[in-house]
Amino acid sequence: MSSESEMKNEDAEKVVTPPLNMLYFYLTEGCNLACRHCWLAPRFDAIGNRSITLPVKLFETAIREAKPLGLGGVKLTGGEPLLHPHFTHLLEIIRREDLSLTVETNGLLCTPEIAAEIAKSSNRFVSVSIDGSNAETHEWVRGVPGSFEAARQAVRNLVAAGVRTQIIFTVMRNNFDQIDAIVHMAEELGVESVKFNIVQPTARGVKLHEVQATMSVTELIKLGQHVELELAPKTNLRLFFDYPQAFRSLSYIASGDGCGVCGILGILGVIASGHYALCGIGEQVPDMVFGEVGKDPLEIVWREHPILKALQAGLPERLEGICSRCLMKRRCLGSCVAQNYYSTNSLWAPFWLCKQADELGLFPASRLGARPAQS
Amino acid sequence: MNQIDRPITNPIVVLREESDDWAILFNPDTANAVGINPVGVAVWKMIDGKRRIKDIVLEIKASFKNASESAFEEISSFVDTLAKHNYVGYELKTTTIVE
Repeated sequence: MSSESEMKNEDAEKVVTPPLNMLYFYLTEGCNLACRHCWLAPRFDAIGNRSITLPVKLFETAIREAKPLGLGGVKLTGGEPLLHPHFTHLLEIIRREDLSLTVETNGLLCTPEIAAEIAKSSNRFVSVSIDGSNAETHEWVRGVPGSFEAARQAVRNLVAAGVRTQIIFTVMRNNFDQIDAIVHMAEELGVESVKFNIVQPTARGVKLHEVQATMSVTELIKLGQHVELELAPKTNLRLFFDYPQAFRSLSYIASGDGCGVCGILGILGVIASGHYALCGIGEQVPDMVFGEVGKDPLEIVWREHPILKALQAGLPERLEGICSRCLMKRRCLGSCVAQNYYSTNSLWAPFWLCKQADELGLFPASRLGARPAQS
Repeated sequence: MNQIDRPITNPIVVLREESDDWAILFNPDTANAVGINPVGVAVWKMIDGKRRIKDIVLEIKASFKNASESAFEEISSFVDTLAKHNYVGYELKTTTIVE
């Protein structure tokens, strides 16, 4: 009758270094698409021979040093991860190390053979980005003709190979009216879930926000409610609308919204240049680079880097603004620390969407409640 | 147990009902909160220090046609959980001191 976990606001317990559950590998600084909203802004690289890619040796080193710290899985992303010249070798290493595998791809290079290689991992999950229910819309977002049908074929290949597959759809003004249609398309393609992302004001996303090609906070909240309360009950697919937890209905959270407690305290990024970073944001913000793979021992980076230690000790209690008063902060942890830092140079700044919602009087009052000041 | 079978809500705890009929119980003293489903909301509203758990169960069964066979156990467990986290209390039996 009650939700799974209490939204406790007690003092932070003594800080212990959490396990390093996941490494996010940003395998290449290049991408064979040119998406208008990309938060990393990789270099356009049609065939993958013009960009920096993570050397296999460093990939292995990072995994080897992460396993004693608790590593259970990896995510391969980019840039476009399938542009990596030794992608199938990386998959072999992941299988050998018995790690769970997540891939985020635009699908252009996901042939039946690649899908079959991915399917060899015992625990695998792939997200394919499709930003329109038709070619015109998707390719307006993604910048390359033919990419729509290629992405759809990638989904077919993955589903046929037995890979759990998700479509990721980033909501913007040019495609928001295709939300229902993308769910129908996803049903036809046989995927497991659809995730609706919000354009973050990072890298290319900044410009989209500036020209108001993104949705307003008011519109995003309405769209989220539409997905949760109207679309989700009508489909067997799992639907996730990726706005902060304060806006999600409790019934949706309790049903397993796919985004429980934020995993940031157990995740580390490895960027294509061979550096550890908070995540891909390290490619944009040098402050978020924590060391060099193979040179700096990962155990020392994970346990001792001042920013990681600060996050471990300070989240969520040091969050500021609306986040400091939010009852969901123990699950949400500020929604996206990388985004918050990118926008403000502060690890503790509130998430932009929640801040704007608060200023507009749209933040759910039932989710607010600060602990009284100690006298 | 030296307590009577009539739970009573912590008077400082606030019930915040949301649009999907779920609700949050919020304790402003501690800023702790818990989400409860529509049956939980109905139970909460019946926890008044007068009804026994079995009275509440009977009313819930009358109100919710899909109430499960194990409603008594589930509601008892729910109230116990609320009590454990100080959202609910039980009055103690009055004891008479004989000199």
